[in-house]
Amino acid sequence: MNRVLYARRRITNNVFLILSLMAAAIGLGWLTLILSTLVTNGAVGFSFRIFTEITKSSGSNGGLANAIGGSLIMTSIAVVVGTPIGIMDGTYLAEYGRDRLSAFLVRFVNDILLSAPSILIGLFVYEVLVPRMGHFSGIAGAAALAVIVIPVVVRTTENMLLLVPNTLREAAAALGSPRSHIIRSVTWRAARAGIVTGALLAIARISGETAPLLFTAFGNNGWVSGLTGLNSPMASLPLVIYNDALSPSDDLHQLAWEGALLITLAVLTLSIVARFFESRRY
Amino acid sequence: MNSMAPVDQNQKVRIDIHDLSFYYGAFKALKNVSLPLYDRKVTAFIGPSGCGKSTLLRVLNRIYELYPKQRAEGKVLLDGVNILEGKQDINLLRARVGMVFQKPTPFPMTIYDNIAYGIKLYERTRKSILDDRVEEALTRAALWNEVKGKLKESGLSLSGGQQQRLCIARTVATKPEVILLDEPCSALDPISTAKIEELIDELANEYTIVIVTHNMQQASRVSDHTAFMFLGELVEFGTTEKLFTAPQNKRTEEYITGRFG
Amino acid sequence: MVDAALSENLAATSRGAALRRFGRSDLRFRFFTGSAALLVVVIFAGLIATLVVGAWPAIKAFGFDFLVTSSWNPVTERFGAFPAIYGTVVSSAIAMLIALPIGIGIAIFLTELCPRSLKRPIGIAIELLAGIPSIVYGIWGLFVFVPYFQQTIQPRIIDAFANVPILSTLFAGPPFGVGIFTASLILSIMILPFISAVTRDVFETVPHTLKEAAYAIGCTTWEVMWNVVLPYSRSGVVGGAMLALGRALGETMAVTFVIGNAHHINSSLFSAGTTISATIASEFTEALGTLYIPALIELGLVLFGITFIVLAIAQLMLYRLNRLAGGGSK
Repeated sequence: MNRVLYARRRITNNVFLILSLMAAAIGLGWLTLILSTLVTNGAVGFSFRIFTEITKSSGSNGGLANAIGGSLIMTSIAVVVGTPIGIMDGTYLAEYGRDRLSAFLVRFVNDILLSAPSILIGLFVYEVLVPRMGHFSGIAGAAALAVIVIPVVVRTTENMLLLVPNTLREAAAALGSPRSHIIRSVTWRAARAGIVTGALLAIARISGETAPLLFTAFGNNGWVSGLTGLNSPMASLPLVIYNDALSPSDDLHQLAWEGALLITLAVLTLSIVARFFESRRY
Repeated sequence: MNSMAPVDQNQKVRIDIHDLSFYYGAFKALKNVSLPLYDRKVTAFIGPSGCGKSTLLRVLNRIYELYPKQRAEGKVLLDGVNILEGKQDINLLRARVGMVFQKPTPFPMTIYDNIAYGIKLYERTRKSILDDRVEEALTRAALWNEVKGKLKESGLSLSGGQQQRLCIARTVATKPEVILLDEPCSALDPISTAKIEELIDELANEYTIVIVTHNMQQASRVSDHTAFMFLGELVEFGTTEKLFTAPQNKRTEEYITGRFG
Repeated sequence: MVDAALSENLAATSRGAALRRFGRSDLRFRFFTGSAALLVVVIFAGLIATLVVGAWPAIKAFGFDFLVTSSWNPVTERFGAFPAIYGTVVSSAIAMLIALPIGIGIAIFLTELCPRSLKRPIGIAIELLAGIPSIVYGIWGLFVFVPYFQQTIQPRIIDAFANVPILSTLFAGPPFGVGIFTASLILSIMILPFISAVTRDVFETVPHTLKEAAYAIGCTTWEVMWNVVLPYSRSGVVGGAMLALGRALGETMAVTFVIGNAHHINSSLFSAGTTISATIASEFTEALGTLYIPALIELGLVLFGITFIVLAIAQLMLYRLNRLAGGGSK
């Protein structure tokens, strides 16, 4: 045995292992740093005022109530519209498409949309809706978010349906069950937890989206209530963070931190719940 | 090679397989197979793995059609009607020809719903009648006593042997005419296997049964007729007794005495 | 006898009815799923068409010059995209240069080094971090990182490299805090968890037997990673890196706050610049005039073109890995 060679190999090994350890330490350390400054800055002036007061101009003790409300409304609409479409599309890919050329095309386009810059989705929805309606609106914001929801749900739905063993489909078919029935009462049921995961991840994804709302929902400093409100510019949490952070006043900066903490907590909670559902897959 | 099997004139033929070939893409997995399956008898398909025995079974309810590029040629007459012809409704065919798989396949729903699922596909029944049908099916599958207190629990909570009997109960509940069993015991322990074999014996009074097995003892225990297959061809078909005691073909003899396969 | 025949008959009709119902519901279901699939393609085509139509006046007015000229003047309505394209490409490239080795390092740490009890928590933490909205990174960058960077780090770097040939140009003062290099740093932090998570998943597709075989002939951990795991999963790692690059190129919020939003190109990475997405985000709602909005939309079209190529390569790489993994496991 060549001892020198062996020693050299061991040194190389140790050097690279230490490097990867350092990479992990740097990466995780930095991310911990960001989260901790977020928590300390956000929690400093945290009060329930942000849930009861609406956004106001600097120096008058505003809150985030209208922004939270707007985010909830637009997110809900986007999820209610986008999720069924995404599930149906994912079902097509997993159950009917598989090896077809059409499915390859749909899958490819979907995966591109999934990672496409979200600001382009905003431009797209702006061009299609805003000039026609004559103004920015909550409905345009919701539409932009729905376009983001669909590919997320498609991806998880297809992946989860592909995990359902084929023998289960065969067993249902062997009872004389037609294709649509097999999918609805057996495969969807088997993949249920995974499909819920997809919807939750989609909500997590859009609740922090800012760029697609800039020129669709636009933002609003007043209360926007109910369905008529959807026809006017609408506030949203990420938009308020964006605007407040760029403003010159310290109290608005503080509000931006609180909003950012709120969004981060919401997104982390959703991701953890989603993970819980995912672990219960068939 | 004699691919035409002898027909026993004294028994009623339920399914008549005639000159059947099967293709996975360009690969010919079954080569001109012909044999009869007798009414209310158990027929076993045996042979080394890859010989086409499962493929042959999967033609009988056209389950292979779930996948692209799989194709059957020839005739399979069920009560005189060729099931391979397009006119035949495939869902109805599968309701008439039930199938139990190698691995237990309980649906992700309650034990009760697992059984009721198949019944509700084709029948609109009152809840009380449905309850009776579920109980009847579970009783026939010798499972009722073990699950009667927990019908609302998930089918996945049962043991492997129980799951397989649940699947048999589910198949029986839809009142098929033929039952196909694809190595139904290969994933089970000896005690569960014994229970299932008893069950097959019982069911043969009413149903035409076809079983694929790699276990020759099992074939000799449960079946009335046996078909030995090799490389996609039917090598020998006859009564189980005759095939195991006095095989006509040299390869059959080698296989059942364990000299190859 | 009559009864039996009758019930037989009834059963037959109810089965017939069931079969007709099945036929209809199969058709309907197939139609709905197919339409949903088609809708995604329509959205995609609509996205391209909208960008082209919206950008058309600018395309007609500036032609190819748009891509290579540098003036961005809303008053005279002369628009050139080069500074924005330059900022986008340079900031993403630097971000990848920083994040890729660290991200892969973390993935190696997670798959081969990490004690089993820490593997899941750290893995989950990284995936959770990958989901944090980019605006959070943006305001952290603006309020925490930029002041510290400007006062403490930038002056030292400028001093340290003052007499080194090329580096003195790249890191020339004065220290603004914001700028292309700051944007790159924030971007790299943002895509780091994403790269780690994707690469880790890719490493997990390597069959255990393959790794065991390498260990069995006496390979060190590093040799197993370098000679077995990386070559096997190469297309997946490249695919994952391209996905991350796609994210960095299109990222808006983490960049807009810290890049300085200046439409010029400076040889120093410490000077303010802009990216395509930052330009659109900060100028779109205030744009007036006949060519300003079309020019911004054309910027969007350029961004779409760049990210499409990157993402398409990423997808093809990942599909290839999936086929390999799928074929290998069977």
